[in-house]
Amino acid sequence: MLVVDNLVKSYGKFKAVDGLSLDIGEGHIYGFVGANGAGKTTTMKIIAGLLKPTSGKVMVDGTDISENPKAVKRKIGYMPDFFGVYDDLKVTEYMDFYSGVYGIPKPERKKIADQLLELVNLSDKKDSYVDSLSRGMKQRLCLARSLIHNPKLLVLDEPASGLDPRARVEMKEILKELRNMGKTILISSHILPELAELCTSIGIIERGKMVISGTVDEIMRRISHGKTLRVKILGDMEPAVRFLKEQPIISRISAASEFIDADFDGDSDVLADILKNLIKNDIRVVSFTELEKNLESVFMHLTIGGVQNAG
Amino acid sequence: MLANPVIEKELKTKMRGWKSPALISAYLCFLGFIVLLFYLSSRESARYSADYFNPRVALELYNSIAMLQFFLLLFITPAMTAAAISGERERQTLDLVLCTNLSSSSIVTGKIVVSIAHVLLLVTASLPILATVFLYGGIRITDLLLLFGFYLLMALFMGSLGIFCSTLFKKSAVSMIVTYITIFCLISGTPILLAIWHVFIMHNQNAPTLYDAMSFMFSNPVFGFSSLFEGMSRGNMILEIFSMRTYGMPQTTGNFMIKPWMANMAFNLVASVIFILLAAWKINPVKRGLFIRKTEAQKANQLKNQAV
Repeated sequence: MLVVDNLVKSYGKFKAVDGLSLDIGEGHIYGFVGANGAGKTTTMKIIAGLLKPTSGKVMVDGTDISENPKAVKRKIGYMPDFFGVYDDLKVTEYMDFYSGVYGIPKPERKKIADQLLELVNLSDKKDSYVDSLSRGMKQRLCLARSLIHNPKLLVLDEPASGLDPRARVEMKEILKELRNMGKTILISSHILPELAELCTSIGIIERGKMVISGTVDEIMRRISHGKTLRVKILGDMEPAVRFLKEQPIISRISAASEFIDADFDGDSDVLADILKNLIKNDIRVVSFTELEKNLESVFMHLTIGGVQNAG
Repeated sequence: MLANPVIEKELKTKMRGWKSPALISAYLCFLGFIVLLFYLSSRESARYSADYFNPRVALELYNSIAMLQFFLLLFITPAMTAAAISGERERQTLDLVLCTNLSSSSIVTGKIVVSIAHVLLLVTASLPILATVFLYGGIRITDLLLLFGFYLLMALFMGSLGIFCSTLFKKSAVSMIVTYITIFCLISGTPILLAIWHVFIMHNQNAPTLYDAMSFMFSNPVFGFSSLFEGMSRGNMILEIFSMRTYGMPQTTGNFMIKPWMANMAFNLVASVIFILLAAWKINPVKRGLFIRKTEAQKANQLKNQAV
């Protein structure tokens, strides 16, 4: 559905996007993750036809945006990270305006607006002035606006930014609904866990370059060279620390007041043997767990100096 | 015209509420008050003269109201358009429209049409007041129509200049200031240029004639406007200053018998089209340059299409 090939956007000597490529299949949800200023918004603006790339290609559903921007804009629904609303316009009038902009005939506009407002849970606000809506409602209205011409691809730039936890959950539910409707979605965030449960694939961008791209599991597998074991001991921890240090598969140990964390490289069999030997040595084990690799820590690991490694 | 959604939306929001009716009412009350004062003073002066019914009063009134509306258009129209695009940018609503299928020229024309319509509504609403001069005679209906046509083209020019500036500058305040400076230069700069030419160049044998040198005066809206009142502007100081007579000129421009208001209207029309095109080009986010050069990929695509 969306193919971005070797995209570059330069402002003088500064490269906001530097040779970025990605490929999103139909019906997929692609999470675009990166710190602030990594180049997510620039990339999304180029895809939405709001910026001209310095070089590279963007194809949406087989159409090159530089060749036929009008046809591509018909296929894209774009929601920017920051947007304003018109004063003195009611919710239904706001939807009617954008329906007109996309050339939707007048008789169909009301029906489409009603359906979309219901989708984003704003049916009860249709006669309210847009300016009087809360931030979360405005975000949802903007999402409804981006769907007005029934686009195949949705480009959503940080749709949950600035929302309170409840509004974030509501937004997530709407996005799940859109996923079920078969929309292809490119969604950005600077918070990786926020996207993990929603997306089929994720790409991490840093200083304009794609550091890593793939499914969540794939990414986890590719970067999880070392695993961490957390052991809780009852009583004196010293014998346990000494025992763990003697194990060849353990590379590093840190002991806190309650836990011992040990980095290791091995499978479940090895872990089972270690537990068996700990108990054999009369060490009173309360808990023995392999720590789940946190997505946040994965993101931090990849974005600190990750560009140089990837390049 | 209403098929343009920008026009529909802007008209709806601009005319909603009490502000627009209040503005129109206040303006008409103000004009009505002036007209009333005129007629009352003429009645007062008629007591001491033999002519109770003096058509000269109607002529003076017509000139004064026409001039008042002229300056209203001159100052209000740019204010309404000079923030049209920059204001959308400041409100962060421009991207939402630009990422749609609406062409940049539709956005620009929509904004101009609404701004002009708003100003012309004031002028149109005042026509019945202006028409009271017909009670006295001396003014033809064609004079009134011509005046309205002149207003229309001038509002178009001022509006398109304002909107072009609003695409050039990100901040509405800067756009507004630049628009007004440009208008000021157009009004006061052209006579200064003519004076400079008169003092330093005219005595040179190879210098262009006064007719040719005056051609840049046709961009001056006040000059064009004054020429509409040739023959009936005596006594009106501002109209006299910009009259052709003041420059020792016959009331046509050289060999073609084109009157300055004609030249000014033509200038306004051409300049407006240029400003609108430039503004539309300027807000197009993926503009290719004024002179479009096709990329290799586009050329290949075109060849492929031709082959098919």
